[in-house]
Amino acid sequence: MIEYIDVHKAFDLPVLSGVSLTVETGETLSILGPSGTGKSVLLKTTNGLLVPDRGDVRIDGQSVYNSDGGALQRIRRQVGYVFQYAALFDSMNVFENVVTGLPDAEAKRARSPEVLGKVCDALEDVNLDPAVVFRKLPSELSGGMRKRVGLARAIVGRPQILLYDEPVTGLDPVNSATISRLILEIRDRTHVTSIVVTHDVEQALEISDRLALLTHGKLRFVGTPAEFRASGDPVVRAFADRRAAAEAALQLVEKEEEEVEEEL
Amino acid sequence: MGCLKTLVRRTLLGLLSRIGRTAETVARHAGEMTLLTWRVAVATLTGRVALRDVLIQLQSIGVGSIPLVAVTAILSGVVTSQQGGYQFTSSIPLYVLGSVVTSSIILELGPVMTSFVLIGRVGARITAELGTMKVSEQIDALYSLGRDPVSALAAPRIIAGTIAMPLLVGLADFIGVFAGLIAARFSIGLGPESFLFGARLYWHSWDLLYSVNKGLVFGFIIPLISVHMGFGTRGGAEGVGRATTSAVVLMIITVLVLDATFPPLFLN
Repeated sequence: MIEYIDVHKAFDLPVLSGVSLTVETGETLSILGPSGTGKSVLLKTTNGLLVPDRGDVRIDGQSVYNSDGGALQRIRRQVGYVFQYAALFDSMNVFENVVTGLPDAEAKRARSPEVLGKVCDALEDVNLDPAVVFRKLPSELSGGMRKRVGLARAIVGRPQILLYDEPVTGLDPVNSATISRLILEIRDRTHVTSIVVTHDVEQALEISDRLALLTHGKLRFVGTPAEFRASGDPVVRAFADRRAAAEAALQLVEKEEEEVEEEL
Repeated sequence: MGCLKTLVRRTLLGLLSRIGRTAETVARHAGEMTLLTWRVAVATLTGRVALRDVLIQLQSIGVGSIPLVAVTAILSGVVTSQQGGYQFTSSIPLYVLGSVVTSSIILELGPVMTSFVLIGRVGARITAELGTMKVSEQIDALYSLGRDPVSALAAPRIIAGTIAMPLLVGLADFIGVFAGLIAARFSIGLGPESFLFGARLYWHSWDLLYSVNKGLVFGFIIPLISVHMGFGTRGGAEGVGRATTSAVVLMIITVLVLDATFPPLFLN
C-alpha cells in the first residue's frame, strides 16, 4: 500500500499543496490533470526522486523520507519506474540496460544463464524479440521500442510497485494501445500495484481501478472509472468527455487560474 | 543633485547585491563540492566503486590524453628554449638556459599546460556527458534502480583523474625538458652537455615532487568540478551547453588560483 500524506512541494511556485491519497496493494490508479499540475512531481516523491517540502510518503507503512540510505535503496528496488522518455542509458545496449534493473548481485553475473533468462523473459513480456534487440543501442530503437525496453528494465526485478510517467506520450495510437495492453497484462500476471500518470483519458479509463484528477496541486477527484464518468464536477466532466476534453478543460482551468490570481 | 544621489545609491546597491549573489553562488558550489568529495570518499572506502569503471576512466582520461599532453609539452619546451636562448645571447652564460627551461617546465608549464589539456579534453566531456544524462533523466533512472550515481559515475572519474594527472604531469615534464634540450641545440647551438650542466646547477629534487603534487591536486579538482557541474545541469540541450561552458571557466580559474597558492605554500 502506498500512502501520500499531506504532500507539499514547491519550485519557486507551489506545485503540490497538501495531497493525501492511498493506493491499495494490487490496485492500478491513474493520475490525470492538465500539464504543470504536479502529476509527475507526485510520482517522483513515491520513490524519493523528489523530496517533498512537507508531508510524507509511506510504502507498506515505511516512510520513504525517514529511511536511511540502505532502506531507501531497498524501497527503490521494490518500485519500478517507467520514465516518460524511457531514460535508457545511451552508452549501453538493450541487454545491459535491462540488466541494470536487477539487484547488484545478479547484475554482476550478467552472463549467467539465469540472468540471461530473466532478461529474455522481461523483453518477451513487453513483446520484444531478444534475438533482435539484445545488442542494439537505444539510439537504434524507435520511440515505442524504447518505451518497451524501459518497461522491461522496470519489471525485470519483479517489483511490487510500478510507476508509469506518461507511458504513451509521443506514441502513435497503435503503440499507445500496445503499452496500455502491456500495463494490463503485467498487472494481471504479477498483481503489481501501479500508478500511471497520463494525459490520455481513454487509456486511464481502460486500465485503471481508480482515477485521480489533480488540478492546482490538489486532488479534485478520486474514484472509479464509473464514478469519474458520472461525476457532476464540470472539470471532471470536461476530462471525461473526451470529444470536448482539451478545449473545455483548458477553458475551465484558465478560468480557475484567473480566479486564483485574483484572490492572490 | 538628488537625481545623482539616487543613481549612485542604486548603483552601489546593485553592485552590493551582485557581490552578494556571487558570494552565495561560490559558497553553494563550494558546499556542494565538499559534500560530493565526502560521498566519493565514503563510496570508495566502503568498496562501492567498481575497479572496472575506474580502469575504463583511466584508459579514457589517462592513456587517451597522452598524445595531446605530449604535443603540448613539446611545444612548451621548444618555445621556452627558443625565447630563453634569444634573451641569453648577450652577457648571461648560455648553459643557464638549461636551468631556465627545466625549472619553467617542471615548476609551471608541465602541470598547468597538462591541466588545460585535461580541462578541454576531459573536463568538458565529463560535464557534457553527465549533464546530458541528467536532463534525459538517466541519473534519475540510476536512483530509481537503487543505484548510487556517485559510486557509479562520479567516483570512477575523480579517482581516475587523481591517479592519471600526476603521471601525465611527470610525462609532460620529461618530454618538455627533452624538447627544450633539442630546441636549444638547434636554435642557439647549446649542446646537450652544457644544457644538462645548467639544469643540474640549479636543480632541486623537491621541484619534481612539487610538480607532481600540483598534478595530484589539479587531477582531483578538474573531474570534481566537471562532475559537480554535470550533476547540477538543468534545462535541456541549452542547459548542457551552459553547464559545460561554466564548468570550463570554473576549472580554468580554479586551476590558476590553486597554481598561485602553490609557490608561497611550498617554495618558501
